[in-house]
Amino acid sequence: MNEFLSFALTYLPYLLQGALVTVEIAVIGVIFGSILGLLVGLGRVSKNPLLSQLSKFFIWVIRGTPLLLQLFVIHFAIPSVFSSLTMPPFVSACIALSINAAAYIAEIARGAIQSIDKGQMEAARSLGLSSSQSMRRVIIPQAFRRMLPPLGNEFIALIKESSLVSTIALYDLLRTGQQIISSTYRYMEIFFLVGLIYLLLTTVMSFIIGKIEKKVGAYE
Amino acid sequence: MISCKNVVKTFNHLEVLKGIDLDVASGEVVVIIGPSGSGKSTFLRCMNCLEVADSGTITVNGKTVESKESSLNKLRQDIGMVFQQFNLFPHRTVIGNIMEAPVLLKKVTKDQAKEKGMELLKKVGLEDKVDEFPNRLSGGQKQRVAIARALAMEPKIMLFDEPTSALDPELVGEVLAVMKQLAKEGMTMVVVTHEMGFAKEVADRVIFMDGGYIVEQGSPEEIFGQPKHERTKEFLGHLK
Repeated sequence: MNEFLSFALTYLPYLLQGALVTVEIAVIGVIFGSILGLLVGLGRVSKNPLLSQLSKFFIWVIRGTPLLLQLFVIHFAIPSVFSSLTMPPFVSACIALSINAAAYIAEIARGAIQSIDKGQMEAARSLGLSSSQSMRRVIIPQAFRRMLPPLGNEFIALIKESSLVSTIALYDLLRTGQQIISSTYRYMEIFFLVGLIYLLLTTVMSFIIGKIEKKVGAYE
Repeated sequence: MISCKNVVKTFNHLEVLKGIDLDVASGEVVVIIGPSGSGKSTFLRCMNCLEVADSGTITVNGKTVESKESSLNKLRQDIGMVFQQFNLFPHRTVIGNIMEAPVLLKKVTKDQAKEKGMELLKKVGLEDKVDEFPNRLSGGQKQRVAIARALAMEPKIMLFDEPTSALDPELVGEVLAVMKQLAKEGMTMVVVTHEMGFAKEVADRVIFMDGGYIVEQGSPEEIFGQPKHERTKEFLGHLK
């Protein structure tokens, strides 16, 4: 046991550095994925046929192909044709995760918006609010509350799926662990520690979401 | 004040309104009665374009009701509507519900809107509920807040779509009392309801609709006292 502790203490700083990279790309993915996802979700429920078809197409492609493939396309395939689009692994990782999350978040947003009772829109419109004012002031605030639980799931999935970026030479938590293993051959200990840190990250994430849910759910 | 000419509305090949004419004078209280599916709610909803009539013209305040956004939004500010299901905004407090539209659409400050909102809450007898959320209110209280919310825009016309149909019987009275008060103050009102007592007492004119037509109309005494049409007699007979 003592031996394990001293081993863990030696390598923990490296793992935490990797964890920092994981947190960074996950947070960026959450922020940009949410913004893009909300926009696509609004496009999806829009009355404009071009906008809704475009959104539908985006969701269809991104949800229907593996994240790993999307990562490879962004990091390897596109730069192989347009060399000016060559990016550091960190940037490619953030783009791929944001786009991927956006497709799922768009569907979450659409579902939440459509779940709001039709009477809410009618009441807002009957007072003279325009359709965009009604959306902004009445529908979206209520939809946001309903988005939170599935959004929490999505964010947790994002943290875990971010481990795929280890395949494009980005030293995130998992990749850092593998690197330590390659010199120490301590599979069990390192993967155990890596797992523990992921668990810690996802736990913190669900805690934060839970707090927000309580706060905005005051009226229910 | 409101003038409807030959209004026709079809849902999926089902003709719900088969050419309706109706004029409502300023300050008049018109009550529309009739069996479910007779088209009375649809007709009411055509008046502020929540349903778009297929043909016919509706003018309110001399302005034609059309589905163009900008003019419609303006027009709707003059037409208050109260719904069967209240449709209060659950994420806003009582006063928040009332202030929302005036602050967004009229050039009033939040303080002015709040002051006006408090007045309206006093009028509907709910000044002690200012900061409650709608889910803490009874159905009758919700509907009274909904009326106050509509009045906050200072509409010239109020439309009521079965305002008491979703209420427990003992809560109907408090909502009707507020509506009676409004009528007394000279508000132009069109009310779709099953409350025959209200119709008898408050209506200037009662309209009986069935099968997408106006079958008969007249003063409450005429409609309830000596209905001319067979269908009207039958409908009123069922109520007793």
